[in-house]
Amino acid sequence: MGCYGIISAPSPPKTRRNPQPAIYNLQFAIRNLMESFLVAQSLFLLLIAIATLVAIVAGRLRLPYTVSLVLVGLVIAILQPFAIEVTPELILFIFVPPLIFEAAFHLDFRLLRSSITPVLTLAVPGVLLSTLLIGGLVSLGTGLPLTTTAVFGALIAATDPVAVVALFRALGVPHRLAVVVEGESLFNDGTAIVVFQIALAAAMSGFFDPLAGLVDFLRVALGGVAVGLILGWMVAQLIARIDDRLIVSTLTTLLAYGAYLTAERMHVSGVLAVVVAGLLSGNLGLTNTSPTSKVMLFNLWEYLAFLANSLVFLLIGLNVDLQHLWLNIQPIAIAVVAVLIGRAVVVYGLAWIAHLGRERPHLPLVWRHVLFWGGLRGAISLALALSLPVTLAQRETLESMAFGVVLFTLLAQGTTIRFLLRRWGLIERPPYRVAQERRLGRLFATRAGLRQLEQLHDEGLLTDEMWFGLREEYQQVRHRLAQDLNRLFYEHASLEREMLIQARREALRAERGALSDALRRGMISEEVFEELKADIDSRLEALNLIQAALQGRWIETGAD
Amino acid sequence: MELIVCATRGGEASRRTQERAIALAKDRNAELVFLCVVDPDFAGPQSEAVTAALEDELKRLGRSLLNIARARAREQGVPAGIICLSGPVWEEIEAYLRRAKATTLVIGAPRVEPTSQAFGEDVQRFIEHVRQNLGIEVVVVP
Repeated sequence: MGCYGIISAPSPPKTRRNPQPAIYNLQFAIRNLMESFLVAQSLFLLLIAIATLVAIVAGRLRLPYTVSLVLVGLVIAILQPFAIEVTPELILFIFVPPLIFEAAFHLDFRLLRSSITPVLTLAVPGVLLSTLLIGGLVSLGTGLPLTTTAVFGALIAATDPVAVVALFRALGVPHRLAVVVEGESLFNDGTAIVVFQIALAAAMSGFFDPLAGLVDFLRVALGGVAVGLILGWMVAQLIARIDDRLIVSTLTTLLAYGAYLTAERMHVSGVLAVVVAGLLSGNLGLTNTSPTSKVMLFNLWEYLAFLANSLVFLLIGLNVDLQHLWLNIQPIAIAVVAVLIGRAVVVYGLAWIAHLGRERPHLPLVWRHVLFWGGLRGAISLALALSLPVTLAQRETLESMAFGVVLFTLLAQGTTIRFLLRRWGLIERPPYRVAQERRLGRLFATRAGLRQLEQLHDEGLLTDEMWFGLREEYQQVRHRLAQDLNRLFYEHASLEREMLIQARREALRAERGALSDALRRGMISEEVFEELKADIDSRLEALNLIQAALQGRWIETGAD
Repeated sequence: MELIVCATRGGEASRRTQERAIALAKDRNAELVFLCVVDPDFAGPQSEAVTAALEDELKRLGRSLLNIARARAREQGVPAGIICLSGPVWEEIEAYLRRAKATTLVIGAPRVEPTSQAFGEDVQRFIEHVRQNLGIEVVVVP
């Protein structure tokens, strides 16, 4: 490889009649910049090509995509056809904003609200406890000072369950569990970075004032939330009023990066700013957006997140120095054990405390198993490890431990979680559900076919005899499919209820659309619109609760 | 005139219970009411608006399912009423049976599923209770 010097390095001309050093230097600098840009562009395209190939092969072989990317990155790193140095800025400023924004933008705030207690318990006290536990255990195991290992505890506290969430989406685990896992990951990224900065400052200065640390934590975290609230609300208002898919897409892109940069410039949490901005714009901004714009927006963000994810995991693999890891195998092993113990205490212990006094647990036991084993580590941990100052004592050991833990969680936990989800009975696509979808799909297709035939007949392109003959055939198929569905409903009562709920949900959405239309046409006032819309929103939330109950088997379904 | 109350959760899964109630009402020339009770308590504490919406949507879901049963009864020439109540299931059914002076209760037998064992025991206890204390006929449809 090594063919990135597409433009040869410019050299100053030997003779020049009227030398103009300032302009010449500027031209030279621009040419250098262009050359660097073209090299970076070529490298970027090469990485995308590799990621695409990996995606195709991983899909065919049914391997976890992110894990496959890391493995390919490792192979490339061993063969060394080219070398790329990953900087923390590259990960934090280029890749993290779209990844976090996409997840927050997609997250249904009403569902998040119904799980907010476990999410915030895991993301705030969970991160603090995890930092202390991991720091303490690593210090005990390696003999490193606690101030140093606390830095490691903080940087490794953020979970990055991309591989797990991708599996959740593909396999259809309970939606609320997916919301808890995603919600925790979103918020703990922010808290872990803040705790990391405080721990690092303490390690560098050798002094830690708990009160000042707490104040600093609150300032950075709440500051980030405030930036996200302000920018997210502003953009949500704009999106709600502009139904132009190109402008709306541009606005969300600006928001994702703008919120991060603004917050970082103000020395508050960029990650939390993006989380809040994404949640607000995705939930408040899209109330009046047309389906076309929504489809484009969701596709755009899905694509950007795919791109960022692919590159991040490939770069993780590319930056692993296996020789270095081998030399630090003992501290890495200690770190892995400490991370697992820390995660277990946080997930089982804090969940147990949060459940005290409640009749029904926030998190069923089997969900806690998923949270424990699905607590993978990834991009944020590595970015923080790479950002450790060179003057920090034991920096290389901490960096190796971070890479080792990330690699372990991806390769050991990421590859076994599918098997465990199946074993724990969490993959909610039993054969009867697939059968229902198949029958529904055929029913939809049959109805569409029948409508088309009717149209052809109405246009005179089909004779009466042909139309009657074909219609009879189609109607029989439709009748048979409807009977099959009824048989399924007889055997699985919840399917029928879920279908009714889905139908009601769509009816309510249509009602909300009609209200917006009536408002635009001046048929109803803003006040009446808000009142009626709030009622529909409450009903939609109620339907979500009923659906969650049906899926979580909270409503008894065993008797007639 | 006799009053047959069919306590049902509605839907295809309880079709056999409903058909039996319709057949009984036809044979005896009795009045027929399909009754379902929803209990919004499962959702835990929610805002006032959501709590109200939840109860209303559950009732709407219940009524939609009972409407299907009523249409089936009508097809067989049996006029039927539908009632959807909200609250603790067994207490509400009992209160309705007393209030309406029902003569017969038609109810589906609990399915034998490990996950619904406790619920099945509740149904059995309720059936015994109605037979002994309300003195009305209880038809359990397998």
